[in-house]
Amino acid sequence: MVEGDVVAAEAVADDPAPVTGQPAVVVIGVGNALRRDDGAGLAVARRLGAGVNAAGAPGGAAIAVLEYEGEPLGLLELWNGARAVVLVDAIRSGAAPGTIHRVDVSRAPVPALLRGSSSTHAVGVGEAIELARELGRLPERVVVYGVEGACFDAGEGLTVEVTEGVDSLANAVMREAEGLAA
Amino acid sequence: MSEARRTRVIRTDYLARVEGEGAMYVKLDGREVAEVKLRIYEPPRFFEALLRGRAFTEAPDITARICGICPVAYQMSAVRAMEDACGVAIDAGPLRDLRRLLYCGEWIESHSLHVYMLHAPDFLGYAGAVEMARDHREIVEQGLQMKKAGNAVMALVGGREVHPINVRVGGFYRAPARAELRTLVDPLERARETALATARWAATLEFPDVQRATELLALSEPDRYPIDLGRIRSDGGLDIAPAEFDAHVVEEHVEHSNALHARIRERGTYLTGPLARYALSFAQLRPLAREAAREAGLGPVCRNPFQSIVVRAVELVQACDEALALIDGHVEPDAPAVEVIPRRSVGHGATEAPRGLLYHRYEIDDDGTILDAKIVPPTSQNQLAIEEDLRAVVEAGLDLPDEQLSLRCEQTIRNHDPCISCATHFLKLTVDRG
Repeated sequence: MVEGDVVAAEAVADDPAPVTGQPAVVVIGVGNALRRDDGAGLAVARRLGAGVNAAGAPGGAAIAVLEYEGEPLGLLELWNGARAVVLVDAIRSGAAPGTIHRVDVSRAPVPALLRGSSSTHAVGVGEAIELARELGRLPERVVVYGVEGACFDAGEGLTVEVTEGVDSLANAVMREAEGLAA
Repeated sequence: MSEARRTRVIRTDYLARVEGEGAMYVKLDGREVAEVKLRIYEPPRFFEALLRGRAFTEAPDITARICGICPVAYQMSAVRAMEDACGVAIDAGPLRDLRRLLYCGEWIESHSLHVYMLHAPDFLGYAGAVEMARDHREIVEQGLQMKKAGNAVMALVGGREVHPINVRVGGFYRAPARAELRTLVDPLERARETALATARWAATLEFPDVQRATELLALSEPDRYPIDLGRIRSDGGLDIAPAEFDAHVVEEHVEHSNALHARIRERGTYLTGPLARYALSFAQLRPLAREAAREAGLGPVCRNPFQSIVVRAVELVQACDEALALIDGHVEPDAPAVEVIPRRSVGHGATEAPRGLLYHRYEIDDDGTILDAKIVPPTSQNQLAIEEDLRAVVEAGLDLPDEQLSLRCEQTIRNHDPCISCATHFLKLTVDRG
């Protein structure tokens, strides 16, 4: 859906000053580990974090991987100064559990399926992105991976359908992040 | 349709800008409100079950994950309850002050989120913060700046911005140094200025003329605005220790909701949260906050839930001003924590989460194993009061078009900043007009 997108080569003039020490690309797994599949984004981040630590971050310190369980407006601080961000979150849009949605929202608005979804937070992730866009606080590139969850009840552990997709999703997210960092 | 009476159904996919998801159903029989059912909150039974068999020291970490907005409240009620069980009371001194400072950070964070991002759009006529930001960028930026100041306090004292890990039974793992705390002064002074401006601005909003008679219940202390400890009092004459909460407040299971509805025994509905704290402890507000309230036109009691945005702004002034005073007077503790030795016992803890009283009770064994846990969050307690507010709002707004009535209902729920992050499903608002 975003074939042919060109990564902007230079920073826009009115971009906020880069935060010292902030890597070029931030990968953020969002969710709540104690709401079953809502922990999918965290599981992906954890998998990547382990991989990065074992092998060393590709491209030096160009990519940071974070887990985030807080309310979504806090994301504006987490990606502050980064050139690109890849978000991974569980969603509920009616698709088959385990379905992966990839949406590049760098220019286009966050689609309905990612807004007001299963987010257990005050302001949803989609709203946080749109608010940041409105305020000029969005990184140049923003890619969202949404994992269709089956169960969002209180409890530990992902459902089988979602668990089976974590490895391949983690690989896809890391390829995306490497591409954005290049 | 066999009768002249028709049923119209209004649905919204979910109730925007309330934490989490839930459902609301209003049934009208002619001009009578036949039924109001709110299903917004699932009590944290999963967490209560998860706690059983775990060590008493784990309670603050586990319960902090119940809510993404108020982890500190859960930690504080948990540590108070565990210390109570073990015969330890941190009621004064540097450790208590640090706890209050941390809690002020959470109030600032949570209230600024609600005032600016969730509640303000209702009054300014926007669907949400994103739409509001197009015309009122400065309001959103102010909210984010204040929220950041609150986060800074939580990050430094609590260890991490969300789900802080520095809190432990008995105190902290590491007490911040005085010099570290000084770094919070600048952002807090700016936040205090913004809070004062916010109270003035909130006072200019237009409020529906609503006065609710609901009994107000909050913690109370003789000489401080309630945050981290105190007796539980109400304007109906209740005055009890947290240990007596169970004896005076009953939780009843209701069919339409997974929630338990809390009532004061033999009296009924009550409301906890900013309106209750403000009414019961107006005299204990810091002078600057009391002055902000006066300037905003608030009397010593406010019974209009729509005006809770003004009360929250006053509490923002209170929290910023108190945080600065705590930093100014900070004395580094001799040790970051006191020793807490478990014993077979039951302990109770009650603190004021941003949205109201949060009660924990634990039974622990001699080795500190948790045998039983009970958690009563503010939203669980407020659910009945919110239903009664809705009933009054619907009765007063029968002639409004469905869309406007729905919006007014949503606003009525939002007035109480309900935390429904544990709700079971998306909120669907349904109005049946019989």
